Amino acid sequence: MIDVQHLRKQYGDLVAVDDVSFTAETGSIFGLLGPNGAGKTTTISCISGLLKPTSGRIAVSGHDVVTDGPAARRHLGIVPQELALYSDLSAAANLEFWGSAYGLTGDLLRRRVAEVLALIGLADRGKDHTSTFSGGMKRRLNFGCGIVHNPKVLLLDEPTAGVDPQSRVRLLELVREQAHGGTTVIYTTHYMEEAQDLCDRIAIVDHGKLLAMGTLDELRRMVGEKDVVRVAGRFDSTAATRALDALDDVKVLSAAADALTIATAGASRKLPAIFTALASAGSDIHETTLKVPSLESLFITLTGRELRE
Amino acid sequence: MAAAKDIRRRMADPAALSIWLGLPLMLAGLLSFISNVGGDAPPRARVLLVDQDNTPISGLLPTATRQGNTPIDIEEVTLEEGRRRIDGGDATALLIVPAGFQNAVIGSGSARLQLVTNPSQRVLPAMVRQMVEVLAEGAFYGQRLFAEPLSPIASSPQSGPPPDANVATIAVAVNQRLTQLQGVLLPPVITFSVKTEAATEQPLNFGQLFLPGMLFMSFLFIAQGMSVDVWDEKQEGTLRRLLTTPQSAGRLLFGKLVAGIAVAAAVAAAGLLGAVALFDLAWSRVPLALLWCAYVCGALLAMLTLLHLLARSQRGSEMLAGVVTFPLMMLGGSFFPFEAMPAWMVSVGKWTPNGLGVARLKELLYGDVSMASLALAALGIGIPAFLAYLAAWRRLRSFANA
Repeated sequence: MIDVQHLRKQYGDLVAVDDVSFTAETGSIFGLLGPNGAGKTTTISCISGLLKPTSGRIAVSGHDVVTDGPAARRHLGIVPQELALYSDLSAAANLEFWGSAYGLTGDLLRRRVAEVLALIGLADRGKDHTSTFSGGMKRRLNFGCGIVHNPKVLLLDEPTAGVDPQSRVRLLELVREQAHGGTTVIYTTHYMEEAQDLCDRIAIVDHGKLLAMGTLDELRRMVGEKDVVRVAGRFDSTAATRALDALDDVKVLSAAADALTIATAGASRKLPAIFTALASAGSDIHETTLKVPSLESLFITLTGRELRE
Repeated sequence: MAAAKDIRRRMADPAALSIWLGLPLMLAGLLSFISNVGGDAPPRARVLLVDQDNTPISGLLPTATRQGNTPIDIEEVTLEEGRRRIDGGDATALLIVPAGFQNAVIGSGSARLQLVTNPSQRVLPAMVRQMVEVLAEGAFYGQRLFAEPLSPIASSPQSGPPPDANVATIAVAVNQRLTQLQGVLLPPVITFSVKTEAATEQPLNFGQLFLPGMLFMSFLFIAQGMSVDVWDEKQEGTLRRLLTTPQSAGRLLFGKLVAGIAVAAAVAAAGLLGAVALFDLAWSRVPLALLWCAYVCGALLAMLTLLHLLARSQRGSEMLAGVVTFPLMMLGGSFFPFEAMPAWMVSVGKWTPNGLGVARLKELLYGDVSMASLALAALGIGIPAFLAYLAAWRRLRSFANA
């Protein structure tokens, strides 16, 4: 398991991670969901020992990553966001090297290399240089290098970024197989669907802060039954907010000169009233979108903006 | 583990490896070829002599220049042939002895020797000029001492050898003059003692002189090529990933040094085997020389790795390494042997890391090496290298995250 308590990472005045705490149990997949720059990679870097936390405590299988770093790292497997492979070595040589970096030797190393090559679908390409591989094959090998030593905790930092749909499906299957095998998986992504499909528990992070955490059902309950309506156009934000606040069960999440975000239950039935109120506030509506309750609507509810903004 | 990986990566790049391996062999072969083209015979000056005086004294000139072991060949020619050949660059110099030369030497007249030198040659014409100046000076003192006894020759109207009666008269007169001067000349006021040291060792040939420097040129190339690998690993993302493994940064760096040392040892072995084959280097000298080469290359690699880690960009780091490496090659006896460099450059260059390496390697290969000087040089190179290694260790994590 992995235990993160009050993690904070600061660069000068910039706080990249601010008081983040979570626990991921053995055999579970814990998702860190947030937009680019939310602090996900910094959190992963602190867990992996690459960055030293400004404060807080991180324990991997009971070993503190700061005071007992080598022991903690021995239980960790990392699949970084960018490919981290030796392009001038073969797939098998890459796996051998990363396995030996975690202390595997001899027959055990050779057996694990063969197993992982089969697992990632590269058994027939093991002797080929990785420079000859497609992007999807490299992604799979990148994943394989992270699991070759059978880690107890696997950190996956957006492993499907830029991957074709077929390879993505295969990678997600591999992640599930690792969790079923008893590995604790920390999975960062900004793909809502991946988090919904894959993760047992999800933490939503933005600007370095953990905004919400729980199972998918728990998070949905946080949103309640409210839909999120996003209206684009030209607004007097103060007048529009005042007009919308006058309506029953309508909450303005964010208001700007060109966009309003509103949370309300049964939004489709309330749209005429909303339009009337906005028209009375002198608004000029160009476009309206309505999102039913989901992780994305929760993210919008929590942050006032969409995940991909 | 890290060393084995880096060696495998080098093996996967045969072009770079063959350049590092082939460079000393290629240069050694080239220099050996150059040194053997002219054989061992030193160059000689060819002087064309035009004797317009045609007297016994002017006839002595070719004989006088052949005295001793001077590297000068005299060939008597006509003025036309002499002009034509010197204009065609066929000789080192043309010496014209004018009519009246004998009278100037032993009589009361004056004469002007003409020396035309070949501008395409530099050293040999200077030697000829010096020889002519010595002759002229000798003639001056000869005239002072023996002008009177030799006057019968000067007053003789006929050319060619003087009559026997004159020779006898001259011999008696010269003997009387020498007897008069005996108190001054014998014993000489200044005595010269020429002592020729017996040659204790064979002089080094061209290839032998260049070999240590060429090897260290290769080591600098290897150190430069392998130290930039930290940037390659940073760009490929493998450096960050490596730092998330249980291995310490120091161990990862040490692996890189071991890989560099292994490559350097392979190159040194190739170069030293070439020296055994081409220069009859004793086998017994090879092991210590090999160890020394590997040690110094490891030290150079540690220092250059720190330079790369301190730079803000890969391009900047490569420029920085180049700015350091090429002056080191120039000063440290890698482009040219110390024997061919100006003294001030040698005094600086011998204290550079590769200069220390070259100087000790030369002793290990050809001379009597002092273990004390070897140990001092090892410390002189090793201590900065060790400090650089520690600094690189400290810097590696922030470099990877930058």
